[in-house]
Amino acid sequence: MIPRHSASRRIAALALVGAASLLAAACSSGESALESGNERPTTPATSAPPATAEPGATTPAGSAPTTAAPTTTVTPLADLPPCPVDALDGAAGPVELTFWHGMSNELETALIELTDQYNASQDAVVVTLQNQTGYEATIDKYIQSSQSSRPDIVQFPEYTVQLLADSGTVIPIGACIEASGFDTSPILDRILKAYATEGVQWSMPFNVSNPVLYYNKAMFEEAGLDPEAPPLSLEELRATSQAIVDSEAAGYGIALDTGADSGGGWFIEQWFAKGGELYADNGNGRLAPATRVLYDGPAGVELMSYVQQMITDGLAVNVGDNASGQDNFLKMADTVSPAAMTIGTSAALGTVTAVLDGGLIQGITGEDLGVGPMPGPGPGALVGGASLYIVAEKGDEKAAAAWDYIQYLISPESQSQWAAATGYVPIRSDALELEPLATKYVEDPRFKVAYDQLLGTSDDPSAFGPVLGPLREVRAATARGVAEIFNGDDVAEVLSRTAGESNALITSYNERN
Amino acid sequence: MATDTRAAAIPAVGFDRPRGWRALGRYSLLLFVAFLVLFPIYTTIVAALKPGNEVLNDPLRPGPFTLDVLRDAWSTGRLGRYLLNSFVVAIVVTVCQVVTSLLAAYAFAMLDFPGRTLLFGVFLATLLVPLEVTLVVNRRLIDSLGWLNTYQGLAAPFLATAFGTFLLRQVFLTLPRDLRDAAAIDGVGHLGFLRHVAIPLVRPTLGALALFSFLSTWNQYLWPNLITTEADKNTVQSGLRLLASTNLDEPNLVMAGTVIAAIPIFVVLIVFQRQLVRGLTAGAVKG
Amino acid sequence: MLAPSLLILVTFVLYPLVRAVWLGQQRCDNFGNNCVSRGFDQYVDMFTSREFQSALGVTVKYALLTVPLGLVLGVGLAVLADKHLRGVGVFRTVFSSTVATSVAVASLMWLFLLQPDVGVLANVGWINELFPSVKDPGWLRDPGTALVAVSMSSVWANLGFTFILVTAGLQGIPRDLHEAAAIDGAGDVRRFWSVTLPMLGPTLLFVVIVLTSRAFQAYGEIELLTQGGPAPYDSTTTVTYFIYGRNSVISGDVGLQATAAVLLFLLLLVLSVLQLSGLGRRVHYGD
Repeated sequence: MIPRHSASRRIAALALVGAASLLAAACSSGESALESGNERPTTPATSAPPATAEPGATTPAGSAPTTAAPTTTVTPLADLPPCPVDALDGAAGPVELTFWHGMSNELETALIELTDQYNASQDAVVVTLQNQTGYEATIDKYIQSSQSSRPDIVQFPEYTVQLLADSGTVIPIGACIEASGFDTSPILDRILKAYATEGVQWSMPFNVSNPVLYYNKAMFEEAGLDPEAPPLSLEELRATSQAIVDSEAAGYGIALDTGADSGGGWFIEQWFAKGGELYADNGNGRLAPATRVLYDGPAGVELMSYVQQMITDGLAVNVGDNASGQDNFLKMADTVSPAAMTIGTSAALGTVTAVLDGGLIQGITGEDLGVGPMPGPGPGALVGGASLYIVAEKGDEKAAAAWDYIQYLISPESQSQWAAATGYVPIRSDALELEPLATKYVEDPRFKVAYDQLLGTSDDPSAFGPVLGPLREVRAATARGVAEIFNGDDVAEVLSRTAGESNALITSYNERN
Repeated sequence: MATDTRAAAIPAVGFDRPRGWRALGRYSLLLFVAFLVLFPIYTTIVAALKPGNEVLNDPLRPGPFTLDVLRDAWSTGRLGRYLLNSFVVAIVVTVCQVVTSLLAAYAFAMLDFPGRTLLFGVFLATLLVPLEVTLVVNRRLIDSLGWLNTYQGLAAPFLATAFGTFLLRQVFLTLPRDLRDAAAIDGVGHLGFLRHVAIPLVRPTLGALALFSFLSTWNQYLWPNLITTEADKNTVQSGLRLLASTNLDEPNLVMAGTVIAAIPIFVVLIVFQRQLVRGLTAGAVKG
Repeated sequence: MLAPSLLILVTFVLYPLVRAVWLGQQRCDNFGNNCVSRGFDQYVDMFTSREFQSALGVTVKYALLTVPLGLVLGVGLAVLADKHLRGVGVFRTVFSSTVATSVAVASLMWLFLLQPDVGVLANVGWINELFPSVKDPGWLRDPGTALVAVSMSSVWANLGFTFILVTAGLQGIPRDLHEAAAIDGAGDVRRFWSVTLPMLGPTLLFVVIVLTSRAFQAYGEIELLTQGGPAPYDSTTTVTYFIYGRNSVISGDVGLQATAAVLLFLLLLVLSVLQLSGLGRRVHYGD
């Protein structure tokens, strides 16, 4: 009547068997998913797959033997969509613009304020802001959408220049500059150039940031350190951390993360620039499309070994991939085992000071927070942050209106207001003479650190950051490697493998785009 | 939530009522697990009612109390708007799923047409297709229709359900065919028969199906995120995600948002608890 | 009468499925244009690639962590709360309550519990002393514990569903079976194994199928709790998160995304068939 064996025991057992057989059936090739659909190499197995192409493969396009040759060639402005800057004059009513952005917290507040001012200042254009919750989501939504569902203006981070240049979906801002005779001379040259590839200015920088050192002055004092002299080199960073840990002023010297857009990717690019080293071939991809990354060389191994040692020695703490962008700051406010310093984007300064001044975090006040340049092998910084693109095929009036709005956002007045509220670097020097920034920089020099750091950058080719089509994915791959290194894995081995993955990404991108 | 109707209806039998130490053992076990289950809910509510600077200070102790954070989450988190969007979409989907399932189930159960078995098989096959596979293509489809950021875009792919069709068909099959034939002779059309005979028969199942549809739509996560580019059109799930992604430094605000997002569905479930049990068990029916 | 359902299911399920299968053997540019067919080998390559294998491994582990435990807990609690103890209704309400939480709500509650900086557990002194790892490195940040931590949240969130279903199943067991067994001298334990469990067969099968498919489609909890990390091992990157989540190497490659999505569909298909035919035949359907 009643079965002796229970059904559930069978169910559990079979589920296990089923799962195990699924795994067993899969004989992993160990190859990357990126190789999917590629022809099997017909040459003997010893020949390297495209992913790990020899340096010789970096010859100019055309002479490369396979289809893997970059399809991007130098694009003269004349072949690109024109910028009808005068079309606004003929508009019947107010032109309505949609602007997708990725700003949050204090940054969004400041952007809303600027846009409200613009909308009120004239009656030809009305801009509607649409927050896409971060750059990542903005990129994804933009890629997924049809051209007609895309916005009229879009804000993209610095790592997407090549992607947008290859997309054929935007009007290069260079065309607008040329057509309207816009004077770019007050704009800092290096900031403008960050968004140009092969002679075409693709977008207009708007929010410029670079990584700076955030530190707790109270802890510096407790450790007997000068709270006004933050460490500048990596050696000083280590010594400072040692003093902090030894004095028990804090549990750790510095909180580091492995996020793709921070400690795991962006900061590595910054350290390379500071050290005068190229990150990718073909002049960081600015002379011709890059074919591979260079960070697995001796410079990269030395750098990452140094940082790894700090973690091994308990001087630095790894807070993980920091997807919220706040974990490293929260570690400074930790009640049990805080860190006295962290490296973070200067764009966080406005938000961090607002949070501290608001008394939300116990134990640290706004006054305790110090800001210094990002410690590294040299001075200077790469241009980070984001820029504004005008989307093509939206009609002449919209393009002209977008150009008008962009000119407003980068006017000295707007940039002064924007930089003072957020911690972003003004893109033009004349903004420093205007209020509120003039006073802000005097009263709170912490806000000026990122600006000074950027001005201190050399003119070496390495000081213009890498331009790679798949830089976003390369950063993600690199960040995985950095996390392994922070976990104690062999630096040279990890970097070499990670570089191989990055190169596969570049090859795949160049092949498809 | 599940009412213990049987306890009252059937006199307790000796072997079913533990006493003494065994009862004590059971109580301790039940209490312990109840404590574990309630713990996250408790800490969430405590945090939602605390001001920001107190939230990390002994998170297990309730108070000091404030409603400011809830108010803040409601206004700056715009949860009111998101709840409204979720309700509209969930109701539209629910009503449409009920109607389309009724019609299709009736056709499969009561009509003879060539290829019926094959078509029914096709219907059932759609149950096996996970959302993840159709996501990319559907997004393009909705985009090309110009339905991004619209209620119809949020709802369209889910207006029919093979699950509901299957469920209702099972009940319709119990209707004697003679009944339908007799009605036809009396000049009652299919729609009339459906309205006056078939629907009353499946009413309890309909309630269960409706609640099931409502819950599944309400809980959708990937799709609303994918087809929304205007904050105004967020559902409460994507709204919560937005709130959390930008406010980790204010955990009490996020928890307040979580409480606000959870309350309406708690209320719905308490009101419709009978349909809930039925709706969830509906899938387990044999056949 | 079939037309509305057929229109929706063909447009939003079958057509996208066919498109996805075709897209899955193509490679496109980063904007999803200029697609070139590479042949159906692409499916094999994707399946055997180390990224997909890793994601599949995580997914299977996740299913093994959540399904059996969820099942045992659900059955155990339902049996405990099925006894005629005073106040058992309260316990039933408590155990059912998590059915009202969506993925976003449940995940955010657990994020606030487990987050190593602003989380509850990390900020309670005695918990910290008992389990230093909640703070440093934090369960969600340690590759060794992250998947277990996410599983805990998932088991908690699914508990209400399982509990309600099993409770309903228990109430469907004819009382005389128990009485007959008791007269034969079977104790509580014996009756559980020989009466209760076999009679629950269909319910348990359904629960297993639903929990397994939920585990295989896990996305929201991963995005909100770990973003697929902690790095470097992608210890919580499930297949769905590998396809649509942050920081995936295929995020710029809609063809490969489709390849992986179709593979996920096939896996679920195989699992369903396995569970239904392999287990279903053995399940005892009462009379």
